[in-house]
Amino acid sequence: MIFTAPWGLLALLGIPAIIAIHMFRRKFPPRPVAGLFLWQTLRQTPEGGGKITKLPITASLILECLAALALALILAGARLEPASVNEHLVVLLDDSASMSATNARNESPRDRAVRRIEDEIERLGRGVRVTLVLSGDRPAVLLGPAALAIEARPALARWKPEAQHHSLALGLRLARELASKTGRLIVFSDAPPDVRGASAIEGVRWLSMGERLQNIGITSAQRTLTPSEGRGTLSLALGNFSGEAAKRQLRLVANQDGGKEILVRDLDVPPGTSSLNLPVPAGLPAVTASLSNDALARDNDVTLVEPRPQIVAVENRLPEGRARDALARALSSIAGTTRAEQGQLSFGPAAALDQPAQPGVWRVGFGRAPARLLTPGDPQDFIGPFVPEKRHPLLQGVTLAGVVWSGALPIASKNVRPIVSSGDHPLIAMLGTKPDDGVLFNVDLDKTNLVRAPDWPILVSNLVELRRQNLPGPERWNYRVGEWVRARLATDPKGQLHYKCGTLDRPLPHGRTMEFIAPPNCALLQIMEGNETLFELGVNFLDESETNLSDRDTSETGKLDSQAAGTRTETGPESDPLFWTLLVVGGLAMLGNWCWLGAARSGA
Amino acid sequence: MPAPSTPPIDWQEVHAVAGAFRLAMPRTPIGGRLGERLGAGTGSSLEFQDYRQYAAGDDLRHVDWSAYARSEVLTVRLYREEVAPRIDLALDVSRSMRVNEKKALSYGAMAGLLACACGSTEADARVLTASAIEPRPFGRPEEIESFLACEAANSILEEGHIAFRRRSLRVVISDFLFPHDPDVLVGRLARDGSSLAILQITLPEEAEPVAEGGRRLLDVEGRGELDLVIDEKAVQEYRERFSRLRQGLARAARRAGGGFSHVIAGTPLRDVARALVAAGILESA
Repeated sequence: MIFTAPWGLLALLGIPAIIAIHMFRRKFPPRPVAGLFLWQTLRQTPEGGGKITKLPITASLILECLAALALALILAGARLEPASVNEHLVVLLDDSASMSATNARNESPRDRAVRRIEDEIERLGRGVRVTLVLSGDRPAVLLGPAALAIEARPALARWKPEAQHHSLALGLRLARELASKTGRLIVFSDAPPDVRGASAIEGVRWLSMGERLQNIGITSAQRTLTPSEGRGTLSLALGNFSGEAAKRQLRLVANQDGGKEILVRDLDVPPGTSSLNLPVPAGLPAVTASLSNDALARDNDVTLVEPRPQIVAVENRLPEGRARDALARALSSIAGTTRAEQGQLSFGPAAALDQPAQPGVWRVGFGRAPARLLTPGDPQDFIGPFVPEKRHPLLQGVTLAGVVWSGALPIASKNVRPIVSSGDHPLIAMLGTKPDDGVLFNVDLDKTNLVRAPDWPILVSNLVELRRQNLPGPERWNYRVGEWVRARLATDPKGQLHYKCGTLDRPLPHGRTMEFIAPPNCALLQIMEGNETLFELGVNFLDESETNLSDRDTSETGKLDSQAAGTRTETGPESDPLFWTLLVVGGLAMLGNWCWLGAARSGA
Repeated sequence: MPAPSTPPIDWQEVHAVAGAFRLAMPRTPIGGRLGERLGAGTGSSLEFQDYRQYAAGDDLRHVDWSAYARSEVLTVRLYREEVAPRIDLALDVSRSMRVNEKKALSYGAMAGLLACACGSTEADARVLTASAIEPRPFGRPEEIESFLACEAANSILEEGHIAFRRRSLRVVISDFLFPHDPDVLVGRLARDGSSLAILQITLPEEAEPVAEGGRRLLDVEGRGELDLVIDEKAVQEYRERFSRLRQGLARAARRAGGGFSHVIAGTPLRDVARALVAAGILESA
C-alpha cells in the first residue's frame, strides 16, 4: 500500500481522540429509571471527568474507530498499487508550410505524419501519454504535457502547418525538456535532420515524411507607385524548383469591388528564380496575384497594398559654401525627399540649436555649438579612434574609416548625449534624449574630409530615414509573415487601437506608436481605431526555403531513447479498488454507528 | 436483572389476603343494573331501610297497613335498592412498572389484590390498559394476569382519552412517574365517575433515593438518558420533587372525593391491604 498524500495520515489522530472521548464519557454505570423527568431539572454533571475508567469496548467505539481509520486512509490517498507508469511519447511537429505540400494523391507530409503518430499511439497502447510540440521561432505545445492518448487525435486534426522556414532547434530543445528522462522523442519533419540543421539528435527518432515535389511559388513581391506618372508596378519573383520550365497562369485581381479581375496571363516559368513586372493602375488599394495551383498552395498568392510614399521635407539652412553643396548632393541621392522652407528636417548652423524649434521640425546643426554647451579650449582635429554608439539608427552602415574630424570644440559630455565620441570629446551628439531635441555635428565642414567620405551620404540618409520613420503612418505597406509591423499616429488615439487580420482581431497598446509581428493566415491587415480603419497593409508568406520542395525526402534517422522510464501518472481515486473499499467501510461504519446509537437510545 | 414483561403473581398469598377485604362502595349513589349489592338509595330489595309518609304514586304494596291501623296515617316501607356496580380498573402497563423485578412483583400482587376485591363485589368490572385497546371484562381474579404485560412506552393515564363508563367506580394503579399536572390528571380520572381510587406504587429508591455517586440514568420508556452525580443535594432536590408529585396526587384525589394510597414496592401484601383500607379503598368483607 502506498500513500499519495501522507499528510492525510494525521487524520489517524482522530482514533485516539475517539478512544479518549469514550474513556471519559462512559465512566458512569447505567441505571434504569422510571421517571427521568424528576432528575432532569437537577444540576447536570459535565460529561468529562478527571477519572479515567477502563475503556468500554462497545460497538459504537469500534464503529467510530473504523470510520475514522477508513476516512484517514482515504485522506492519505491510500493506494494498493503505486502510480501507474505509462509510456510518454513526445512528438515535435515541423510546423513549416512545406509540411502541407500535397503530392499527386493529394497527400501531404502532414497527413503521413498524423497517420504515423496515430499508429505509434496505437502500438504503445491506450495508456500512453502524449505531448505534441509545434516547431517555430516560438515553439508551442499543441497538446500536453503528457496528455491522454485519446486527446491526441483532435489535437492533430487542429494542426495545420503554415509557418515560415525556421530551425527546429528551438522546438527540439523544448521537446527535450518536456520529454526529460521519461519520454521518448520523435520528430516529424519533411526533411532529414542534416537539411534542417539539427545536428544533435541523440536519443531522438527523426522521421522525415517529405517527398520531392515540383513546386513553383512567389518568393518575393513588391508594389511600387510612380506618382509623377500616375501608374504602379507589381514586381514578382517566381521560384521554379522543378528543374524544368513549367507553365502557369497568373491572375491579378483587385480586392475592391468584389474582386475585379485586372489581368490574366499564361506564363512560361523557367527553372530557378525569375522576375516579373506587371503594370497596376494607380489608386487600387490592394491587389492579389495568384499562380495556378500546385504542390504548395501557401506560396501561390500574394496580396499587395499600394504604398503611399512618405515624403520628408528637408530644409538646407547651411551657409553658401562647401558644406551646403555637400549636403545638397547627399540629399539629391535620397528618394522620398523634397525641399521646403519649413521642412520636417532642418540642416543649419549648430549655433541655431539654442533657439526654440518649430513643432514637428528636427534640427541638425553643424559647426560651433551653442555657447552654453561649450567648455574652454581650442578646436581639435581627430583621426580616430572614434567610439560610436553602435546600435543607434543614425550610425547604421557608418564606419568613419579615414575620416579626419576637424574643428571639434570641447563640449562637456554631461550637456549632451554623445552618439560618436573620440576620447571625452563628443563629435556627434543629441541635445536631448530624442532626435527631435536636436542633433549636433561638432565638426567644421569646411575643413573636415567627412563630406567627401562614403559615410557622409549614409549619415544624411540615416537622418532622413530616421525622420521618415517618425512621420505618421506605417513604416511600410507590405510585409512578410513574421516581420515587425511599425506604424505611428499623428495624434493620440481616441478609441481602442486594434488590428484585424482575417478572423484574427487583436488589441494594440494605446499610444501614438504601435509595433507588432505580422500574423500568419491573412493577406490584408487593417489597423483600426475603434471602427475606423487607419491603415491597410499587405501580409504575405514569401518564403523561398519553403517553396523549394526539391530537397524533401522520406527517411528515418536515429533511435528512440530506450532508457526512457515512462511517466508516472496519478489517476483519480476511482481507479483504485482500495478507495471504494475504504469508502464503503467508512460509510457503513458511520451508518451502523448511527443506527446503533439510535437503537441504544430507543431501547434505553 | 431485568424483570419479566408480565409480573408473576403469588395467587396463594393474594387469595389469603384478599379474602378479608372487598372494594369499598361509595356513599353516593352508584350506577349499574339491578343486582345483589345494596345501593345507597332506596330500591326494591327485601332489606328494610326506613318509613316515610305515603305520597301519590307510591306502590300500594309497600304501604304498612299495620301502622295505618294504629295511627290512621298512611305510611310506606322503604327498602334498600340492590345494584351491581360498574368497576373500571385502569392499569398502567408501561415499561416503568417493571423497571426491576421487585417493582414488577409488587405491582402484580397489588393488581391481583384489587382484582380479588373487585370480584368479591359481584361487580361489572372491566380492565383498561390503553385507549387503543377495547376495555375487557374479567370474571375470575386470575384473569388480571393476562393484562399485565408491561411493554407499552406510555401509560394509559398519559393518553388523551380513557374509556371510563359514567358513574363507574374507578380504580387506577400506576407509579405516576411521568410528567403531569395532578389536578388536571385526577380531574380527568374522576369526571362523571362514582368514585375514584388512586394507587401509586413506587420502588423505595424511586420514592426516597440515596446518594450513590455518578450514574448514567436511562429512562426505561426511552425518554432520554442523563449523566448525573447523585449526591446529597441531588437526592434532596429529587425527594422534594417526588414529594410534591405525591402530595399533589393525594390532594387532587381528596378534592375529587376519591382515595389515594402510595405503596412502596416490597411492602407485605397484608400491610398493603391495611393501607388501602385506611385510605378507604378497601373495606373489611
